[in-house]
Amino acid sequence: MLSISGPSLFIKQAMDYLRSIRKRELHIKVLLMICASVTFVGLLLIFIFVFRESLPAFTRLGLPNLFSTHWNPDVSHPEAGNYGMLPFVVGTLYTTLGGLLVGAPLGIGSAIFIDQIAPPKIGTAIGRGIELIASIPSVVIGWFGLTLLVPMIGRLTDTSGFGILAASLVLGVMVLPTIAALSLESLRALPSELKEAAYGMGATRWQTIYKVLLPAARRGVLVAVILGMGRAIGEAMAVQMVIGNSRQLTFSLTNGTSTLAARIVTDMGESSGVFRSALFAQGLILLILAMLLILTIRLVSREKKETVR
Amino acid sequence: MRPEERRLFRLPQRLAFSILLVLSLSLLNPGCSLRRGGLIRVSGSTTLLPMVQEAANRFMAIYPGSTVLVQGGGSSVGIAQLNEGIMDIANSSRDLKEGENKGDLVDYKIALDVIAVIVHPDVRVENLTREQIKEIFTGEVVNWKDLGGADEPIMVVMRDRASGTREMFDKVVLGGEDPTGSAIECNSNGIMRETVASTKNSIGYISIGYVNSTVKAIKLEGAEPGAESAKKGIYPLSRFLHMFTKGEPSGRVADFIEYILSEDFQREVVSKEYIPVIEL
Repeated sequence: MLSISGPSLFIKQAMDYLRSIRKRELHIKVLLMICASVTFVGLLLIFIFVFRESLPAFTRLGLPNLFSTHWNPDVSHPEAGNYGMLPFVVGTLYTTLGGLLVGAPLGIGSAIFIDQIAPPKIGTAIGRGIELIASIPSVVIGWFGLTLLVPMIGRLTDTSGFGILAASLVLGVMVLPTIAALSLESLRALPSELKEAAYGMGATRWQTIYKVLLPAARRGVLVAVILGMGRAIGEAMAVQMVIGNSRQLTFSLTNGTSTLAARIVTDMGESSGVFRSALFAQGLILLILAMLLILTIRLVSREKKETVR
Repeated sequence: MRPEERRLFRLPQRLAFSILLVLSLSLLNPGCSLRRGGLIRVSGSTTLLPMVQEAANRFMAIYPGSTVLVQGGGSSVGIAQLNEGIMDIANSSRDLKEGENKGDLVDYKIALDVIAVIVHPDVRVENLTREQIKEIFTGEVVNWKDLGGADEPIMVVMRDRASGTREMFDKVVLGGEDPTGSAIECNSNGIMRETVASTKNSIGYISIGYVNSTVKAIKLEGAEPGAESAKKGIYPLSRFLHMFTKGEPSGRVADFIEYILSEDFQREVVSKEYIPVIEL
């Protein structure tokens, strides 16, 4: 009890003080600043930790080993293994792109439908459905993919069914709600004058959506795609269940391969020494990849903005 | 303005209070029970982790006041920690390696793990030699027709690096050679079974306790996988699962090992995945 009344007393005193200097908004500012800096410091700490843990892999195994295409860790003599992560880098980029190709058009499309086309009741029903998808745990989606999707792809393509195609479809389902919900928010935030002006100038509904509303909401939609991508690039569980976790470098959609995140989950169980460090190095590369992708999307969209205007 | 502000700050305070209360309670609780009864610290093989955790739960129900802490980490880690005296028992899915036994480790065999080679039910092959399985898993043979089956590509399914099952399979069958890069990798016996059951033309391996009607266990060198053939020594894919202690165990630690070797536990829990040692 003593330890509890301590902080609350402190808060009260601090508040009295703030009131007395008549800056009532200040404590909110400070609180929000603390929130923001916790996020930033947390990110920084994660980066430092991952970097520190992966350092032994870089110094003792060397870049040629880490960036080869051969992954064959040695559990009892970690230093003698091969830790080439290139197949998984390719797999990560491939599946993330695939997931966005599936999820982004569906997500943005359903946002436009709910906001502009659907009657309110149907729009609400679809919106609730999308929210439900967002709350399905990734293991459940992965299990669904393993037992239904993979055999189906296997039958259609006459392969094992495991691979980038299955992973992309699973990721598409997972990024869909994020992209749809955020796109919908940015569409709803648009002033109604935009739409009224477009109609007033004789634009059709499709022209209004395509030429006026989407460009106006572009920033929000972009953030939606970036957050969706963040979910896709780091998803480990669902991807691991449907991608096959093979160690080969492949560009085929239906060959088994792996992603960085899935490989970390698969191998972290009994890893030790530089093997463990090599997994952290994969995590570091994954972080860097994610940041590069976000940067690229931002750059590409900036160029578009200039050409449009 | 004022009453609203006051209301605004009452909720966080209440929240902070309840969070602190829950935290302090959760900190206090294990501390008390540790002081009351005997503490048994167990670590090692992740293969054995689910079974030993189950044993720990049942044991703690039978002996109130005793606490069994079970950790994974791997066989090597468990044995190293046992030697350092941090742990009372080390779980291991393999025999002791050279240098691990400084003369005072006591070995308890708690179960026999027999690994069955399984194929998709539609695969027509019934029996394979060790050499044939090696060729399949290293990628030298890629079509079932070369082994007397249909003209279909072989889908190889294997376990992850950390798996003790894979460690034994690689040693006994592959002789340390590298498995093919196109092999699908699964993280557990359960997922391996699911994968082989749903993937046409696939071949893999799981602990015998996991074999059911969704997959087909095939013979190895003409021997059915099982307790009988393993006992006779004609089925090579079998291994004992061990518990090691540093010196003869006493007190609660001895009670715990005795409980794991008891007929009740062996029949009810061990037999679900492995072959109980009481049947040997």
